[in-house]
Amino acid sequence: MSSSPAIETADLVREFKKGPRAVDGVDIQVAPGEVFGFLGPNGAGKSTTVHMLTTLLPPTSGSARVAGHDVVEEGTRVRAAIGAALQEAALDPFLTGREHMKLQTALHGLPREQRARRGDELLGRVGLTDAADRKVGGYSGGMKRRLDLALALVHGPRILFLDEPTTGLDVQSRSALWAEVQRLASDDGVTVFLTTQYLEEADQLADRIAIIDRGKIVAQGTPDDLKDEIGRPSVEVIPAEPADLARMKSVLARFGESVASPPKAAAVRLSGGDAQLADVVRALDAEGIRVQHLQLHAPTLDDVFLAKTGRHLEGAGDGAAVEDAEPDPVAA
Amino acid sequence: MSRAGGTRDVALAVAWRGAHNYFTNPAIFIPGLLFPLFFFTAFAGGLSRVDSVPGFEFGSNYTAFVYGFVLMQASAFGGVFTGFSIARDFESGFSRRLLLAAPSHGGIVAGYWLTGVMRAVFTICIITVVALAAGMDVQGGGIDLLGLYTLALLVNAAATLFGCGVAMRLRTMQAGPLMQIPVFLLLFLAPVWLPYDLITGWVHAAATVNPMTLILTTERGFVAGDPVHVVITFAVGAALVGAALLWARGGLHSAEQAA
Repeated sequence: MSSSPAIETADLVREFKKGPRAVDGVDIQVAPGEVFGFLGPNGAGKSTTVHMLTTLLPPTSGSARVAGHDVVEEGTRVRAAIGAALQEAALDPFLTGREHMKLQTALHGLPREQRARRGDELLGRVGLTDAADRKVGGYSGGMKRRLDLALALVHGPRILFLDEPTTGLDVQSRSALWAEVQRLASDDGVTVFLTTQYLEEADQLADRIAIIDRGKIVAQGTPDDLKDEIGRPSVEVIPAEPADLARMKSVLARFGESVASPPKAAAVRLSGGDAQLADVVRALDAEGIRVQHLQLHAPTLDDVFLAKTGRHLEGAGDGAAVEDAEPDPVAA
Repeated sequence: MSRAGGTRDVALAVAWRGAHNYFTNPAIFIPGLLFPLFFFTAFAGGLSRVDSVPGFEFGSNYTAFVYGFVLMQASAFGGVFTGFSIARDFESGFSRRLLLAAPSHGGIVAGYWLTGVMRAVFTICIITVVALAAGMDVQGGGIDLLGLYTLALLVNAAATLFGCGVAMRLRTMQAGPLMQIPVFLLLFLAPVWLPYDLITGWVHAAATVNPMTLILTTERGFVAGDPVHVVITFAVGAALVGAALLWARGGLHSAEQAA
């Protein structure tokens, strides 16, 4: 495996006419075989960065190398080394899944005798064999995403860009896609650059994460390192008797600084870490405060985002988008 | 894979998709077929006595006279409608797939050009059958017909590349009128229903400077077996294709900057 980065950017900038800097001095390095999560809210600059790295958009300034090639000077070589499934699956509703594979293998110049076999193999891998001869216009959102992923893989790319691959998917489709991404990285050694606004997705899939906000990288590291930076867990308690809330707050104050909590609850960040949980329970018991609910919160990436930007990440814990999504009849 | 091989593979793949979508979607191929068919059936029949007008000098019948125009119209609008398809690809995001997967972006333009050729050839075949059935008198020989259809393909290439340049610059279906209107004006400011010498007023002045007048006159000459201005007409056709190719290349560059 090459030791040079699979993806490397230096002070990457993209300005749009009459608009702000969508990407403002991004420096990232992604090692070969790594799953790199690019986490940020809507409009943070994730997709613009992906468009520059995939040669779809030239940078205003700065530089980027993908698979060892400059994205501006060596666009053809970059495109030969990468696969990309962008935010909106770019599919033709008049073509079937199999016809899409035929088109994509031809575009990539695969030898004719290999095209059908490669297409069938990938359709099988993403669980679309049964739907291969149906027009894509009738596919569910999850099926379109999986076809898009299969299309991105036809030429065996070393680096795969996935731009919010699970946005709008139901839980089953999302899990199937996560499993395939993990398999690609672990079994095939594919470098995966994954943008997402879902904390859980970044946490589950990424070896390392960069958090982007308003075009700038605000934090970068492994998920555990980033959460360790924030440090201590918090405990949230709801008293059985609402009248005990004020007294409970004063008890909890002995264990750390207060943090945001629902109106009927109190929460503190534990200055001594999660080992203090037993002490908290004993102190509440000693004061005769009965507890309806007590929960220990480990630091999350949302806490990291909050600490770095002063705001919560949009879509954090946003189950609505997932639950409202169209169910996928043939999720793998 | 060599660069030429890559360009060819991309062009054939894009053209295959264009052909597939054209022949499997009546909503796409019917308008492109109906326009020239309507003009042919309406005017070749309705104005057939025009060939009795004093000064109307044409070596064949009026059906053949109108066929020359309808052939040019089918060629040009085969290209314009291909431009619509390109704009649709940009609006839907499908063009990103092409730009990302294609090692040669020039191959994408070539593929759209082949799509335009295919659309025009299909329409021309239908119109020719209808015209022959309607009694078109073809006086030209094999060489004349080769020249006739080569000219038609030059017009088609120029229109496709013009549409491609507009579509790739604006990347929206709203660009449709900008592709259609200039071609429409060029076509209809040529001597469409009457010979050039019988046209008067500002239309005559416009027809005088309109390159389509030259192309249409030579096309009709091929049908009648008496072609005129052949060399200069092919030079003008080639120049139009060259200019449109530069325009399309600029459009591709614009799309690459903003995909």
